[in-house]
Amino acid sequence: MPNETSFREAPPMIQFVAVHKFFGGLAALTDINAEVKKGEVVVVCGPSGSGKSTLIRTVNRLEAIQSGSVLFEGKDVQGKVRGSALNQLRSRIGFVFQSFNLFPHLSALDNIMLSPMKVNGVKRIEAREKALWLLDRVGLSAKAQNYPAQLSGGQQQRVAIARALAMEPPAMLFDEPTSALDPEMVGEVLSVMRGLARDGMTMMCVTHEMNFARDVADRIWFMDAGRVLETGAPSEFFRAPQHPRAQRFLSDLRMR
Amino acid sequence: MKGFDLTAILLNPEFSRMLAQGVKMTFIIFIGSWLLAMSLGIVLLAIRMLPSRIADAVVAAYVSYHRNVPTLVQLMLWYFGISSLLPDALQIWLSDHNGEAIFAVIALGLCQAAYFSEDQRSGLRAVPKGQWEAARALGHGYIGAMTHILLPQAIRNAMPSLVNHTVSLFKNSSLAMAIGVIELTHVVQEIESQSFRPFESYLIATIIYLICSLLLMWLGHYLEQRSRMAGAV
Amino acid sequence: MSLLQNMIGIVEDNWLLLLVGQYPNGPLGGLSATIILSVLGIALAFPLSVVMALARLSPWRVLRWPVTGIVYITRGVPLLLIILWVYFVLPLLIGHGVPAFTTMLVTLVGYEAAFLSEIVRGGIQALPRGQMDAARALGHSHLGAMRYVILPQALFNMIPSILSQFVSTIKETTLGYIINVPELTFAAGQINNRLLTKPFEVYFILAISYFIVCWTLTQVTNMVERRIAARRTTNLNAAAAASSLAAAASASASGT
Repeated sequence: MPNETSFREAPPMIQFVAVHKFFGGLAALTDINAEVKKGEVVVVCGPSGSGKSTLIRTVNRLEAIQSGSVLFEGKDVQGKVRGSALNQLRSRIGFVFQSFNLFPHLSALDNIMLSPMKVNGVKRIEAREKALWLLDRVGLSAKAQNYPAQLSGGQQQRVAIARALAMEPPAMLFDEPTSALDPEMVGEVLSVMRGLARDGMTMMCVTHEMNFARDVADRIWFMDAGRVLETGAPSEFFRAPQHPRAQRFLSDLRMR
Repeated sequence: MKGFDLTAILLNPEFSRMLAQGVKMTFIIFIGSWLLAMSLGIVLLAIRMLPSRIADAVVAAYVSYHRNVPTLVQLMLWYFGISSLLPDALQIWLSDHNGEAIFAVIALGLCQAAYFSEDQRSGLRAVPKGQWEAARALGHGYIGAMTHILLPQAIRNAMPSLVNHTVSLFKNSSLAMAIGVIELTHVVQEIESQSFRPFESYLIATIIYLICSLLLMWLGHYLEQRSRMAGAV
Repeated sequence: MSLLQNMIGIVEDNWLLLLVGQYPNGPLGGLSATIILSVLGIALAFPLSVVMALARLSPWRVLRWPVTGIVYITRGVPLLLIILWVYFVLPLLIGHGVPAFTTMLVTLVGYEAAFLSEIVRGGIQALPRGQMDAARALGHSHLGAMRYVILPQALFNMIPSILSQFVSTIKETTLGYIINVPELTFAAGQINNRLLTKPFEVYFILAISYFIVCWTLTQVTNMVERRIAARRTTNLNAAAAASSLAAAASASASGT
């Protein structure tokens, strides 16, 4: 269900302007122009190698770009900003990784508490309260003292989402959050993400989960070979895709 | 303090002769002990592969002793200790014929053989089991499989460690000075006491050791690259 | 055998000298000095090695190159020569004579720090890249990420290598004999000079003493390594499973 908030008036939260990126001689992203408005949920899909992960990683500068600009809340993420200003910026962008990347030497609770305390200067008692609340929200209060090695993949990813949320970011990025999970655990993670979308979080998700996209996304971006070839509301995109490659992508999916 | 002047040592005929002698002795010790260590290392490995628990335990004890006792102490045990147990005639012959150098080569060689055999053993263990089965399935005998298929891979695997330990052996040659062998470090101390120029003396020795070590490391790296199979990990 | 009887006799007569040197009629020597020298050497070298490893991994050449140079020199020059250097240079720097023990300690600290820094560097680089990504994505600075996420894990994994380096340090203290440091080998030399007729017994006792100390420590190291390897495999398995599932999944777009 699309968000009802009047996001059309607000300035865009994430903006890509004429973004080009190369890996050596290979063009990974070509002339990307797109934006994500506040409160919007955007799902980026496309065949593998299309540059979806690379695109989302440019938003918090895990990947650099060669030309163009990527703006977050109006600020250039890729340009001259560096050092503590960059760290500040990153702390306002929640990022959830495909391979969770939980810190194995810390318990679930400590994983969530660490960065608010050390990066944002939040006091321990406050951080702990918030962390427990977030664990409850993702359904894992009972696992607060467990270490990542003791958690299933789905549980680890939910803790990773809580960890990102603990920084109170205005936007959340998801890089194939369920691709590394056994099928029976995909649902629990998607349901957390649905909850976030319902609560009005600005989200940009790279995913293969088309049901999720159909239900939750406000816009779908279809990418292939480093370009955004088509964007549209899910209802239009899934019913009648315009671009021939998008049509082929969807028909490949339906064949399964 | 006299001013820094390398030429005072390098151009002095007496000193440069001593230096040349020291470098020569260092290399004699190094190459002698390296050859001993390599061959003994292979022998130890062969013994260890015999299907006998006693053989395995004996080699394991040998390796354990040489890895846990400091090299200097091993040298001293050989030169001061074991030599005193030898028959008198042999002792006299040895002291006439550079006994110190012989003991140094023996001690260093035996010590390093322990490390080399462990390197080779790890290298052999790193070869996937399937290689052995494939070799036998094709009809190779034990020796053939070893020679053509297993050992080449084992040596390739073991190269980095073997090179590291070779450089260690080279540096350990300096320990021979403690039992009176007139190798580079000993010579440089002599020069220092005669010329009163410690900085220059030590600097020359440092540069010689450094260049030789770097050459050894570079040579090892080159051999590693040469033996690498295209595309293999 | 008379050899064995001789050895027992020598130990009975001289055990105090072997254990503590001339103390209290002189500086602390013998095995005690060896142990103190080794423990202090490693303890002081360790923080220095972490700094050196971080310098070597930093993006600034002015930090990287000097440290790389120091490491190469330490690996290429015999320890004996380095000891002679310090023996000669240290009094010049300080302005007055330096006891042999201090000279040896300073040399060991520098020497061990160079070797340890390579071990630390290896340990840091062995961690999965995702850990640094996750820490930076949350807004931690480079040093903050090192301090809270990377180093705790890397150092824990490196404990066996550090213990192993400690055993090497004990063996390296014997070189103090050359500059008359009153440690165990020196004590044995004194006994031999007094007895003169039993060199084999004396040096065999010396060898056995070192063997007992080093062998015991090596066994402890192996035990510690087994327990750490078990813990590390669990963590790595979780991460490896996640990434391999991810690789498999992204090779085929999943359907509805």
